[in-house]
Amino acid sequence: MPNFLANRRRFLTAGAGGMLAPLLPASLLHAQPNHGKTLTVVLPSNPITIDPINQLNHDAMVLGQTVFENLVEYDLDGTLKPQLAKALPTISADKKTYTFDLREDVTFQNGKKMTAEDVKYSFDYLLDAGNKAARRSLFTRITKVTVLEPYKVAFELSEPYGPWLYFLTKYMGIFPAGSRQEHGDDYFKSKPTGVGTGFGVFEAWKPNDYISFTKNKTYWRKGLPHWDRLVVKMIPEDATRVAYLLTNQVDVISAPPPREFNRLKTMPGVTGASRPTLGGALLMYTNTLKPPLDDVNFRKAVACAIDRKTIGEKVYYGLLDPSAVPAPPRGWWFNADADKELAFDLDRAKEFLAKSKYPNGAEIDLSIQAEPYLLDTKDAAIFVQAQLAKIGIKVNLKVYEFSVLIQQAIRGEHQMALQVFMSPGEASYIIQVCLTPGQVLSKSTGYDNAELNSLLVQAFAETEQARLKDLYGKIQMVVARDAPLGVLGYVHASNLWRQGVQDFKVNQGLTMSVGEVRV
Amino acid sequence: MFRLLAGRFLASLGTLFFVGLVLFALTRAGPGSPARIVLGADATSDQIAQFEQANGLDRPFLEQYVVWLCDVLRGDLGKSFVTGRDVAGEIADALPVTLSIVLFAFAIALVVGLGIGISAALRPGRLFASVTRLGVVLGLSIPAFWLGIVLIRFVAVDLRWLPPGGYAPLSAGLTAHLQTIAMPAISLAVYYIAVLARMTAASLQDALRGDYVRTARAMGLSSPRIVAYALLNALPPVVNLAALSFGYMFGWALIIEQVFNIPGLSRALLNAISQRDFLLLQGIVFLFTAIFVIANLGADLVNRVLDPRQRSAA
Repeated sequence: MPNFLANRRRFLTAGAGGMLAPLLPASLLHAQPNHGKTLTVVLPSNPITIDPINQLNHDAMVLGQTVFENLVEYDLDGTLKPQLAKALPTISADKKTYTFDLREDVTFQNGKKMTAEDVKYSFDYLLDAGNKAARRSLFTRITKVTVLEPYKVAFELSEPYGPWLYFLTKYMGIFPAGSRQEHGDDYFKSKPTGVGTGFGVFEAWKPNDYISFTKNKTYWRKGLPHWDRLVVKMIPEDATRVAYLLTNQVDVISAPPPREFNRLKTMPGVTGASRPTLGGALLMYTNTLKPPLDDVNFRKAVACAIDRKTIGEKVYYGLLDPSAVPAPPRGWWFNADADKELAFDLDRAKEFLAKSKYPNGAEIDLSIQAEPYLLDTKDAAIFVQAQLAKIGIKVNLKVYEFSVLIQQAIRGEHQMALQVFMSPGEASYIIQVCLTPGQVLSKSTGYDNAELNSLLVQAFAETEQARLKDLYGKIQMVVARDAPLGVLGYVHASNLWRQGVQDFKVNQGLTMSVGEVRV
Repeated sequence: MFRLLAGRFLASLGTLFFVGLVLFALTRAGPGSPARIVLGADATSDQIAQFEQANGLDRPFLEQYVVWLCDVLRGDLGKSFVTGRDVAGEIADALPVTLSIVLFAFAIALVVGLGIGISAALRPGRLFASVTRLGVVLGLSIPAFWLGIVLIRFVAVDLRWLPPGGYAPLSAGLTAHLQTIAMPAISLAVYYIAVLARMTAASLQDALRGDYVRTARAMGLSSPRIVAYALLNALPPVVNLAALSFGYMFGWALIIEQVFNIPGLSRALLNAISQRDFLLLQGIVFLFTAIFVIANLGADLVNRVLDPRQRSAA
């Protein structure tokens, strides 16, 4: 009997061990460092498309930028550089014609040489209203694209408009002539194999899981990329995204949680960095057509009652640079005097309120976004609510999904709406889109000012940075005078990556840049 | 029996149609148009009108519902507005993932929950019963998502025993499959272990107090046999609860899949909600409803097998 009991115990132990065996050595299979030449990066959201002319999500632009390229590139540091063109374009005296000489050593991933015909085809397709490209409206000042020589192409604009070059990297790509008709839009959206000139060739899209690319072996920039395969995983949950990095499942993550960022980047085996973006603004759309925001003094009272520095330091842990005007504090076009006009000062806020039509305060709805995009705005909204209460303004927070909130702002149905707005990072975009008529977000502010419009037109025709700085400085002074748009600050782009990853740099434009990364 | 089955089947079908109608109304009553998501923030009103016309979104509500219902009856759930893929295909890709986690969690909950419940019922007033009561309260109180994050922190990040998330299908090997579903299934199961343990213990204790048990003891039947008889009588409410739990697990999987980054039905559902992908949303919720209805139907059938009184009532 004792023998039987001993054997039975041994049997049960062995059985239990056998049952647990598949679980215990798990680290051998899944939690191992990636020794291959696969680079795995993580997005916090689920992309809808790879097609650059329809891409709405700045995190997901890494997909389009892997497959497609442009005439010029707005690089990680915010510098405009030639990409498929040999050099930056020559611009005619009237600033309405841009001529590009193209590189002659570029081939598409399908083996076809890239020529000026492909460039013309790509832009003609984008500009054809029937093709419903989501990003078409940014380029409608292009009236004609002309092939001058096989590797030379000219763009004619309806009026001087310098900013369009800065929009190419995020919102456009060059594809082979005839490819859209040959493959159809769904192909570009979900499986664009062979139709780009970029360093990565589309391999697979597993919905809700990952999108993968292989190395473009015929890429024109010899030696790049340094990896054989790129996997872009989607992990929406912050804690899980970080856990994947800490267990070496992935190499680089975007949008690390701000609260944990400083701690995580000092953890063993992990590196991290952040840098201010030039175009990622935390905006508070103030609808100037709806009371009480129809009163300029009331709007200025709101602007002066918000302590942006504390929001940057305490709510976003240093990942937001405070600014009261639509210009990043580290941008060359930032006007500190204009910023000072709307800076935090409770006494001035009370004075403005007393001068307004609503001296006893008022009640306002502030629409905020349910799901975080680039930054979670809910904590900032609660802080703003508390700050405005100090001068007698009662704020009701209304939470909506992005799709609902953006439609409210587009239609001007809101009173105030708080949202992170990502632009390409050049000086005019936010001002043009939110503060001039006939634009997508014109009704988000309802603002139309002839002086500002005229200054902006002058800026579009200018190429000298010193003169541009003067013009944008004046525009910011107009904005500071009328306070038609609430600005809380400019966000930092931040990433965490494994120490084995080399040559990864945080992009001022937020989108991860993976072409030159070594694993 | 056949008449009863047919009756239940028709009632279930009616439930599904009604839920389908409510679902259809709710998805369209909410603010936000799928056109804006697909075409982008700067789409013109003409483009939006074109999109809505092309996808039948401009038709009267009831007409849209009837068209959708007819398509569903033909087995066609439509195409996703966002990805352009067949909804049936999207569901077919994601269903096995969710199903494997829910089934594993359900198995854990049944085995462990019933085991603990039976043991506690047979040892009333002892330390084991007290510990069980405490464990049940804990199990009912711990949120599954929190448990999931704690498991990731300790089991995946600190101990490196299991991957922090993701999903490996069975085709990748049983070991890899179990590694990826173990933590999600445990997180999902803990609450239902507590629920089933409590119900089993209470129901079995009640049965053990019955007159027929006293009679059986007086007749000299062995203890295991008496427990077996009592258990048969105690099981029907447990079976009903288990069936409900199985349905609810699909709901909780919504959060668990998010925490463990699992590309299952719930992730697809969340994306469908945020992207206003009506057809995919309807397809998935309709499937969840069908699972719930089938689970309840299954529970009724099992109870008929367990309880002769229900058979004779039929």
